[in-house]
Amino acid sequence: MKDPKIVFTGTPGAGKTTAIAALSDMPPVTTDVRNTDPTLAKSHTTVGLDFGQVDLGDGQVLRLFGTPGQLRFEFMWQILAADALALVVLIDNSRPDPLRDLADYLDAYQALLPSMNAVIGVGRTLECPLPTLDEFSDVLGDRGLVVPVLAVDVRERADVLMLVDIVLAQAEARDETRDEATQE
Amino acid sequence: MTMNQDEMRRHAQQAANDLLCDVNGARAVLVATPDGFDLAHAGALPLDAGRLAAMVSSMAALGDAASREAAIGQPHCMVVDSSAGRLVMRSVQWRGEPLVVVLLTDTAALLGMVLNALNGVERSLGVA
Repeated sequence: MKDPKIVFTGTPGAGKTTAIAALSDMPPVTTDVRNTDPTLAKSHTTVGLDFGQVDLGDGQVLRLFGTPGQLRFEFMWQILAADALALVVLIDNSRPDPLRDLADYLDAYQALLPSMNAVIGVGRTLECPLPTLDEFSDVLGDRGLVVPVLAVDVRERADVLMLVDIVLAQAEARDETRDEATQE
Repeated sequence: MTMNQDEMRRHAQQAANDLLCDVNGARAVLVATPDGFDLAHAGALPLDAGRLAAMVSSMAALGDAASREAAIGQPHCMVVDSSAGRLVMRSVQWRGEPLVVVLLTDTAALLGMVLNALNGVERSLGVA
């Protein structure tokens, strides 16, 4: 069986590279370069991908891919999402319009999301409590999507692990549903 | 835009123009920042310059990561050799600032000539 792949996507500065580094068993592969965009308050930014992996202990390895965040790298979002088991969307709640940010990613992945295991992780909710998690859920609900939304600090391995656990549980539930349907 | 960025764009545009003239079979040249912004371009690009700049920066960064992981040092060039032409990329420096130059050619262009011309860009930008 092919090793499962989870894709971390989301806004610049939301912590995709950090999340993968927090979880990966090996030093992650990164493609960060110096940022020249004055509207982005960070020294370096991912322009290709991040890659890490986690040993699941049963001979399987979970592969973690991170996308660049900026819309101009949307082509990489699609390339990396091919054959993914799940999508983790990270949103930075300190950005000017986090709900719009979420909508951008929902637009980009609209063909995949209805059948894709997914979770939304919202960061910096302590400093920026608005919009609330319910408002994010409303954006998803308006599109007919039921996707868990959680507040996370991706610097904490436990938080990243929780996101991964959620999408793996979704994948398992989908497999069971499919098996039951096959037996009937 | 700062004076320095303005000057960088001017030199990048000159390099793009020169490269387009110097290489037989060259269709277009683009100079981008490593984080995917179009600084200058010349010739007939078959796609949006901003989109190509983003793609080129991703590919250059992936080449860099692959070289690093394979312990083969710093990459100089990447070549996408396709059925109807080539994309040849080279990382260069302008006053210590890293840039990526990409040359789009038809199949008539000789790879050795293209690589030599790209080396010349590095030299001309280096003294600009």
